[in-house]
Amino acid sequence: MKFGRLSAAAGFAAIALALTACSSTPSSPAPEAAANPDARAVVANFRAPVSNWALESDDAYVLSIAGCLETLTKYDQTTKKVEPMLATSWKQASDTVWEFELRKNVKFQDGTALDAKAVAGSLNRVLKATAPARAVNPKTISKVEAADADTVRVTTPAADPLLPYRMASVNAGVLSPAAYTAKGIDPMKHCTGPFAPVSEKAGQSLTLDRNENYWDGEVKLAGGEIRYITDGATRATQVQTGEADISMSIPATSLATLEADDKISVLKADSPRTSTLYLNNSRAPFDDVNLRKAATMAMDLPAIAASIYEGAAQPATGPFAPSESWANPELGVPQLNIEEAKKLVEASGYKQQKPLEIIAITERAEFAGVATIIQEQFKQIGLTAKVVTKSYGAAEPDVLAGNYDMILSQRNRMIDIADPIGFLQADYTCEGGYNLSHYCNKDYDKLIFQATTETDETKRHDLYRQAGDILAADAANVWLVNEQAIDAVGNSVQGYVQDPLTRYVLTKDLAKTQ
Amino acid sequence: MLLSSFAVFLVPFVSPGEPVRSLLRARMDIGAADEATVQAYAQQFGLHDPMLVQFGRWLGRFVTGDMGISHISGTPVADQVLPAIAVTLSLAGSALLVAIAVSIVLGVISATRAGSWPDRLITSVTHALIAIPEYALAPLLVLLFAVRWSLLPSAGFDSPASLVLPVFILALRPISFFTVAVRSGVRQALDSEHVLAARARGLSSTQALVRHVVPHGLLPLWTMVGVWFAGLLGGSVIVEVIFAIPGMGRLIFDAIVDADIPVAQGGVVVVVACAVLTTGIIDLVHKLSDPNVRIGVRHG
Repeated sequence: MKFGRLSAAAGFAAIALALTACSSTPSSPAPEAAANPDARAVVANFRAPVSNWALESDDAYVLSIAGCLETLTKYDQTTKKVEPMLATSWKQASDTVWEFELRKNVKFQDGTALDAKAVAGSLNRVLKATAPARAVNPKTISKVEAADADTVRVTTPAADPLLPYRMASVNAGVLSPAAYTAKGIDPMKHCTGPFAPVSEKAGQSLTLDRNENYWDGEVKLAGGEIRYITDGATRATQVQTGEADISMSIPATSLATLEADDKISVLKADSPRTSTLYLNNSRAPFDDVNLRKAATMAMDLPAIAASIYEGAAQPATGPFAPSESWANPELGVPQLNIEEAKKLVEASGYKQQKPLEIIAITERAEFAGVATIIQEQFKQIGLTAKVVTKSYGAAEPDVLAGNYDMILSQRNRMIDIADPIGFLQADYTCEGGYNLSHYCNKDYDKLIFQATTETDETKRHDLYRQAGDILAADAANVWLVNEQAIDAVGNSVQGYVQDPLTRYVLTKDLAKTQ
Repeated sequence: MLLSSFAVFLVPFVSPGEPVRSLLRARMDIGAADEATVQAYAQQFGLHDPMLVQFGRWLGRFVTGDMGISHISGTPVADQVLPAIAVTLSLAGSALLVAIAVSIVLGVISATRAGSWPDRLITSVTHALIAIPEYALAPLLVLLFAVRWSLLPSAGFDSPASLVLPVFILALRPISFFTVAVRSGVRQALDSEHVLAARARGLSSTQALVRHVVPHGLLPLWTMVGVWFAGLLGGSVIVEVIFAIPGMGRLIFDAIVDADIPVAQGGVVVVVACAVLTTGIIDLVHKLSDPNVRIGVRHG
């Protein structure tokens, strides 16, 4: 997302709000014309594979959106449930042992039958990686084995009610044994999905053909192409010109143009990312809850969402997006209240000796603009701040060591699995490995620990909600805006269901009319 | 080459932050990896060894023709560098061919009609072209030729048509500089004694222009071509990103940002080697084009 324009209309944001509020899983409108079985779809993807298709890396996402890679289970964004995929059922044999029953008569695209041995082989390779995935690693899974030809047994180091979620992670994808070669992973015709990769132009694109023997029935498209286009404006142009049928992750700067184009549908959904002003809770002045609350009250969040983000984000209500089932629906957007903020600064007794530092990471261009607004807002409550821009890599050592005042960053709450437990542990528990704000509250930790073993999903989500309430009450950080996942889809596309977790694009039901 | 590879090698050692974490971030958007993972990853590629040991290890491999292994993909560096240099050579080569052809025409017109309106127009336009940044011009041309008129692809590197816009954009600045050089060279040649003598021997102005003026007038151009070619090999990052072209500029830039030093080193060395080779060829062309040098060779 590039620099926003402060002059962008607030009304635009209201329209965006209305659009996103309408549906949790937007899909492209179905044209009336019949689907063309010979059609091929082109997808402009924001990610390029860089790790030689290692499944523990983000390359797995590319294979998943390409309709190649499949997993034992699948998290359905519409039902918000873990559902069967390559496994038809699963059960917890004991606290630490789960068994997954494989679907019968599934074949890899190379003709090999899917069996428990092949699944165990794929998962064990990910577990043995030097840099394993967050969802599937030796800390979460201690052993995967074939109990019999159709049953995969997974052992966890401790009771883990979220294991079926982990098995839905793209990093837990299953490839044919022939995919594992001495030179690394070769995904060509080695998946089980509706599309088989047939060729790749290095650094440019992956071409796929329909899997005629797909286990889940007819595949409507003849094939597809995933283009690796890292520049957001170029992705937007590709769908405008018709070179791409679907462009993922459209930047805010291209939004108005695409929304004005009647040949394109723009789909939006809450992404699991909240742009946040991290406050260093471990040292003055933000070790004082009054000052942290003052920082929140000094922010005009709707103005930031409308101006810098040009309607591509919604003002945040707290640590979670309102559409997430564990978000507290009673939390509203914090209101700008300069007078109250001034009183809190005064009550804290803080006497500023030098300007506070706001780090704006260069990886997110819009943060420079956000930081400038925050600097101005702070001035109104009597705090001076200076903005420092640096790469995240350069800032990280100081931030992790607690040597900073504030940093603008954002995190994906569900990057590993479709559940925020990993995020809530790493980012906010006293011992969290990614606790940038150095926040520590024993009551919060207790709730999160309880949640890790809670098998009842409703109760677990309630624990998350309570934990989120503690974070909000402690004003651990200033949660600025919830980012939107924005895809643009040509009107000839049928059956596209947007996945804000960016795992599924080319599916068996995706079709084109021309 | 050795110097440039060492300069690139030093980048992670003088940059803030931990290079291993940059490598892990490039593989997975996971935020901070745990310390055990960082240590294991560093161990796998020997990144805890002293700086000179690491460089020596790389050099030892390199002299045997092995560019090493990418710290991100784990695949041979050559597998990334060679396709990228092929892309960039065709891109930069095409841009320079266009620039040479256009600037010769414009430069000769400008020089032979010095002071006239075509000369003033060409001079003004070529000077203006220098000032237009690629990141501003590229979106404008994409908007016109791809979005509005649907004449050309907006991105990619898979057909001759997809080369048109990036080549044109990369050619603009060289056109400006080359045209000035050709104009100046041709002006000097026009006033030279041997051209006057040729005319006195009865050659028409066109014959004199083709046989004597242009060959002399182009001599300054060849030196500039070598310099520009070397620059374009690694310096077309913006165009490569905007047009999604998997070229060398982008490869080296990403490798440096992600601290994938073997790829950055391999890329820089190949670019420098190509630049040295090109300069040598240009020097040869220069000598063959210069009548004085040719005469010197003949009499030598």
